[in-house]
Amino acid sequence: MLWLTWRQFRVQAVIAATAVAVVAIGLLATGFGVRSRFKAAGLPGCQVHHDCQHVASLYVTALRESQPYTLFFNSGVLFLHAVPALIGLFWAAPLIAREFETGTFRLAWNQSVSRSRWIATKLGFIALVAMATAGLLSLLITWWASPIDKALALAGQTAPIGEYTMDPLIFGARGIAPIGYAALAVALGVTFGVLIRRTLPAMGLTLASFVAVQVIWANWIRQHLISPKVASWKISPVNLNAFMISGPARKVTVIGAWRPPGGWVLSNQTVTPAGHVFTGPATSACLSGSQNVCDAWLASKHLHQLVTFQPASRFWTLQWLETGIFLLAAVALTIFCAQRIRRRRLT
Amino acid sequence: MIWLSWRQFRPQALVAGCVLAGLAILLLSTGFGVAHLYHDSGLPGCPDTRACQHALFVFSNELRGSIYEFVFYLSIALIYLAPALIGAFWGAPLVAREAETGTLRLAWSQSVSRSRWLLVKVAMLGLTAMAVAGLLSLMLYLWSQTAYKAGKYASAHGPSGLSITRLSPLLFGTNGIAPIGYAAFAFAVGLAAGVLIKRTLPAMAVTLAVLALVLVGWPALVRSHLIPPVHTTSILRGPNIAGLGISGSQKMTVFVGADKPGAWVISDQAVNAAGQQYSGRPPRACLSKSFNGCTKAILALGLKQAISYEPASRYWALQGSETGAYLLFAVALAGACTLRIRRRRLA
Repeated sequence: MLWLTWRQFRVQAVIAATAVAVVAIGLLATGFGVRSRFKAAGLPGCQVHHDCQHVASLYVTALRESQPYTLFFNSGVLFLHAVPALIGLFWAAPLIAREFETGTFRLAWNQSVSRSRWIATKLGFIALVAMATAGLLSLLITWWASPIDKALALAGQTAPIGEYTMDPLIFGARGIAPIGYAALAVALGVTFGVLIRRTLPAMGLTLASFVAVQVIWANWIRQHLISPKVASWKISPVNLNAFMISGPARKVTVIGAWRPPGGWVLSNQTVTPAGHVFTGPATSACLSGSQNVCDAWLASKHLHQLVTFQPASRFWTLQWLETGIFLLAAVALTIFCAQRIRRRRLT
Repeated sequence: MIWLSWRQFRPQALVAGCVLAGLAILLLSTGFGVAHLYHDSGLPGCPDTRACQHALFVFSNELRGSIYEFVFYLSIALIYLAPALIGAFWGAPLVAREAETGTLRLAWSQSVSRSRWLLVKVAMLGLTAMAVAGLLSLMLYLWSQTAYKAGKYASAHGPSGLSITRLSPLLFGTNGIAPIGYAAFAFAVGLAAGVLIKRTLPAMAVTLAVLALVLVGWPALVRSHLIPPVHTTSILRGPNIAGLGISGSQKMTVFVGADKPGAWVISDQAVNAAGQQYSGRPPRACLSKSFNGCTKAILALGLKQAISYEPASRYWALQGSETGAYLLFAVALAGACTLRIRRRRLA
């Protein structure tokens, strides 16, 4: 049964191996450049003081804007998000659907191998190869980006936003999360294949449902896996990110400057001592007064910056939780598929 | 022949219709909110530059992190995915499925000639694909009109935070008539892959791979040469210095910002008298913390700023030439496929 599965999977395996090899070569070739620029900037062995922050932040910005690293920055994350989707599309959906569509399931189920063993071997093999591919790619990208992660940790508050591993776009491309995604994609593909029994519609539905799950999960569910932390800082008029007066009602919007280093900011509000979001309205102190008068008026309001965030220290906890949930979902779908196949009539 | 094409195309047309309807509902329900924010921020009819910068800041701050930003990025992703999916699900199976299942023999034994068979199918599917892409682009344009209008006020100096230009590499392929060209080209690539490979799944995989390479490589390598960019060299002025990169004490890179609203800046460097990018030793004033002293020292070096850009006025010229090129390739591929199937033996 194993030989048969391998024989039917050969072409896909060769293509996957070639693709991974090409990506690995690209990453290896540029990874040394990333490291040498890290050393040239003087960052290894840097102590965390003011100059070091600035240099580290510049290192990341400069790296992001010079070719060929820009290409890897942008496409690396995209590629790692696309890989589980493509696996579900091309490996998992046709796995069972093709057998139904062409009628060869009658031949396969009339052999001495039981249906359970047949589906278990096919599905298990594909799932393991998919998870191994995703895991290997994630490992390669982590190796490539480790100097960048170190530089971001050194840069602290001055680092460019959007490059941290906790950032929603990057979180799913690092750590062990891609392994969970690959498992779920395979399970979804096989489920739709069993339910619909036609290859192309099964592929379409697998893609649509997998993308929907990813989008909904990343935007609305992941932040609630662990209750986010809330930090409260006193607002001082000299340390603001933004101060705006807008609209005919002279609504005031104040945004404080504190950011959790490397954390994922879910909301950043300025509240009054009573706990409501501060909206002004602006008085003549700020509309026509000087900077000092406006600052004094703001200080008299005793505002606080309320930041709801997931700290960077929770990265691995969230990764394990997410992968665990996706793996559980994959297992549940697999059991459903196995039951359907065992009970299906041959005619 | 038209009825037959429609009958075979019905499920895919239904899916396309559902996706268009879904996106239309999403954009309609959020579009009024965006227009509302735009008018509330004070941008329409703002009296002077300072007021406009302030209003722009208010507007972009309201948008950032809101549901509107999410809808915008989702629509952009959809417009980029649509040609790839059309190529894979409409183009590749067109001939490949018939060849794989053997129904090609039936289709080509009818009174309709092979060329007419293929041309009617290609015309129906190709034109529908172009219409779908055009509608997607139109819907997103109507929704994001206000954001693009606001983006015109952005300059390189102010803290506007809304850098949205129609010409930027990320957005150029999602507005105007470019998506129509992509859809036609993607369909033709899928068709060609199906005709050459004659197996559905490998044809789909090859289509996706080719499209990924072309659609990613084109903006980076070809678009800037469609119409040669404008090169200007001017004296480097203080406000244009965006930042410094100092590695060790040997090398300094000067980052500059260009003030070309709405343009696509391809390269932007600080150059010495010979025209090469400046990378000499940093002046003493820059190694200390004095920003003003550092700026004076850099200006004293007598550097120039060399910008290579496509001005905003060339938008429609670039759109037209890009769409024209893609349509040309599409027609050539479709013609080549028609010639190829005429000569193919049935057995």
